[in-house]
Amino acid sequence: MIFQDLREMGILGINNRVGRYILRHNKRKNYPLVDNKVLTAQRAEAWGIAMPQNYMVIENYGSLKNLHLKIQNYDSFVIKPANGSQGNGIIVIKEIIKESFGDDVRILCRRSNDKLMEIDEVKHHISGILSGLYSLSGQSDTAIIQAKIDKHAIFDDYSFGGIPDIRVIVFEGYPVMSMVRLPTKSSDGRANLHQGAIGAGLNLSNGWTNNAVIKNQVIDVHPDTGHKISGLKLPFWTEILELAARCYDMVELGYLGADIVLTPDQGPILLELNARPGLGIQIANLAGLVPRLEKIRNEAPRNVLARERVEFSMKHF
Amino acid sequence: MKKFTVFVTVFLIAFPLGILFYKSRVLNLSLLPQMVDDVWNFHLTARPKGEHKTFSFPIPRPGPGIKVTDEKVRTKDFEVFIDSNSDSSLATWTSKEPINRRVTYSARIDLQPINYKNIAKDNTSTESYPKGLQKFLIVPELIPADVEAIKLLESAILEGSEDKTSAIRKIYYYVEEEIQRNTDIKTIHETLGTGKGSPLVKAKLFNIMARRREVPSRIVVMVRMPNKSQKEESSKLRFTFANEVFLNNKWIPIDTNRGYFGERPDSFMVIYRNYEEIEKLISKKRVTYAIQAERARINRYNRAEFKKEVVKTDSIFAKFSLYRLPLPLQTMFTTILLIPIGTLVLSLARNIIGIPTFGIFTPILLTLFFKETSFGFGMVFFFIVVLIGIGERYVLDKFYLLAVPRLSILLTLVIILMITYTVLSADISTISQKHLAFFPIVIVTTNIERLSIMITEEGLVNTLKTLLGTLLIAVLGYSMYSVTALEMFMFTNPELLFTVIGLLILIGKYKGYRISEFIRFRDLVRQKKKLESESA
Repeated sequence: MIFQDLREMGILGINNRVGRYILRHNKRKNYPLVDNKVLTAQRAEAWGIAMPQNYMVIENYGSLKNLHLKIQNYDSFVIKPANGSQGNGIIVIKEIIKESFGDDVRILCRRSNDKLMEIDEVKHHISGILSGLYSLSGQSDTAIIQAKIDKHAIFDDYSFGGIPDIRVIVFEGYPVMSMVRLPTKSSDGRANLHQGAIGAGLNLSNGWTNNAVIKNQVIDVHPDTGHKISGLKLPFWTEILELAARCYDMVELGYLGADIVLTPDQGPILLELNARPGLGIQIANLAGLVPRLEKIRNEAPRNVLARERVEFSMKHF
Repeated sequence: MKKFTVFVTVFLIAFPLGILFYKSRVLNLSLLPQMVDDVWNFHLTARPKGEHKTFSFPIPRPGPGIKVTDEKVRTKDFEVFIDSNSDSSLATWTSKEPINRRVTYSARIDLQPINYKNIAKDNTSTESYPKGLQKFLIVPELIPADVEAIKLLESAILEGSEDKTSAIRKIYYYVEEEIQRNTDIKTIHETLGTGKGSPLVKAKLFNIMARRREVPSRIVVMVRMPNKSQKEESSKLRFTFANEVFLNNKWIPIDTNRGYFGERPDSFMVIYRNYEEIEKLISKKRVTYAIQAERARINRYNRAEFKKEVVKTDSIFAKFSLYRLPLPLQTMFTTILLIPIGTLVLSLARNIIGIPTFGIFTPILLTLFFKETSFGFGMVFFFIVVLIGIGERYVLDKFYLLAVPRLSILLTLVIILMITYTVLSADISTISQKHLAFFPIVIVTTNIERLSIMITEEGLVNTLKTLLGTLLIAVLGYSMYSVTALEMFMFTNPELLFTVIGLLILIGKYKGYRISEFIRFRDLVRQKKKLESESA
């Protein structure tokens, strides 16, 4: 069989992911907690899990009217759809420029890729979000205006443009596999593997990178900065894994992807959760998910603290 | 799999198959209606001239190379009597009042070509012919001058000692080649003088010469069916004439006008086998008539016959058969019943092969669109819609419109495109008949917007892959529709839908890898192996 190699390596396929892990371990009623970022933020606050601050939640077109007045108070912000996926519909504004012409004030927003946006364009983008252009189901959505996160200094040599994020797959509360996604020029500064960001696998035991790929190709150095990826070790590693593990307690989804960012001042904070995390993480780690998932299913103790679960994972994977 | 799932799945798959088995073995039903060959819808109207209370006209009769079904003779105001002797049929309408309206006859005619090769020598003595054939040996009376002329001819072309088959062949060659066709020359006398003759006179001359050689012979009245290039609906057909001679105990067709010996192509239908008997009935002085024939290609399967077959079993299937529905509904369901099979193909393609598609059911909607219009047209139209979808976004982006109104504008644009095409198109016959023709593409339009978003977000290559995947499955579905047998099989045995559900459960339970994942993780496997071999 052509699938024999995949089976021997324990690669998780889409059908298996859905049939054996997502459908069995994720209760449908808990999906909104991860699909809707407003709900995730509320939950996280109650559980004391740090997330970027939400400046504003825009639920209807009416509140767009005075948007220019409200955003003047901030230096930078991020616009994202509450029900978006794969980073679609997200715009990062790193600078707000006010130009005065007598009594008139013109507001321009500088995006992370240095393009300028008129305030009307920003409003148009938000109304696109509201009408459901980027939402998972295509239904009308809510837009979030959120604090922009700054890049941790450790990534200065490993990232082009945007902020890298750390994806941790969590199964029944145990971290299973992890990678860091490093934006590149070709991914337009976004940490999205589909668009050409680097996926670098991380050793669960110590947070060192073990391998890196762009799309499906193994690479040694970052194509834009020229730095060797293998020299990267993530700080706050245990905290990162614990944060991810606690998300399981928070949303009660057995198979979960937690996206975590490192901030310069707060340490690791949760960016978003994903009930259907992708399978590309296996390529980044050159390893299959199935053996680890089955080890947790068969050997890991239940009803233990997040800290203990992290210890189990760091020891075994 | 859990036992319950296994049980349900096996039941769903096996139960309809059991019904199929029961239907075919116990009820002796065929699983598909019989194929009907391309048949002719034959239509005849006739009206006597003058005051007549009875009126007769020849009608087709089954025989070698001709099958007649679904005969309909209008009998409302008249009594109809059909006189069938062994070779021909004659319908006679009678009424108390003089018949001053048209009488009609219609039937389905299935014609097969006749071809006798290597006709053997025939030395049958005249006395040994059966009594019924004697009338075909009587030589019509001619004026002495003509008799002399024919005798002269005979001495020129015949030896006198050859067998009957060879003599007939020689007469045939003479009449076919030496007598020029000329519709103005209508008597034997003129023909013998000028060497020209109308088709009927040529048939008459051949008939006389054959009978003089003591070969039973007759003039047959035929209708030449319209050929494909002719406008079938408008063509009115006339009677035409040929011969049959009795050689080796068989009536052999001969046509001296079109050059057929022992052969009759399937474009000729014999309507009466003895011209002498109906000469007066069909003469223009006594009757006006119109004959029409058109190809009936629509019903490749004989649904009507099958309906009878089902009803005859008097089983539960007779009550629930889709064949009881009115014809338009039947046609609709023939199309609709294939949709679940399409979803089966779709599920296989998406979940086992891993072909990406736009929206879940877009490929099936496209399939329906292709099926309702035509493949070429459907493809072209779809691509125009795609182009409009992409162009629309570029143009309307400047307007800052909300998504729903923008989608609605796209939809309206596509409808305008449809109207424009339909109004401008010279050939609307393919579309006008179908109520659903454009409906699927309207729904597909709503997915086109995603296409332009996808181009910006995932790049042109991924978008094209998805587009190709969508089209591939649509084409697969379309090729499925082109198998009429499959269509009819589902229509005849709709219980198979439960088998489809069973198979869908099986696909839904498939936890293995997709073929696409083999490709996706191929590099991973290769690199892992490389690493292992390096460390080893």
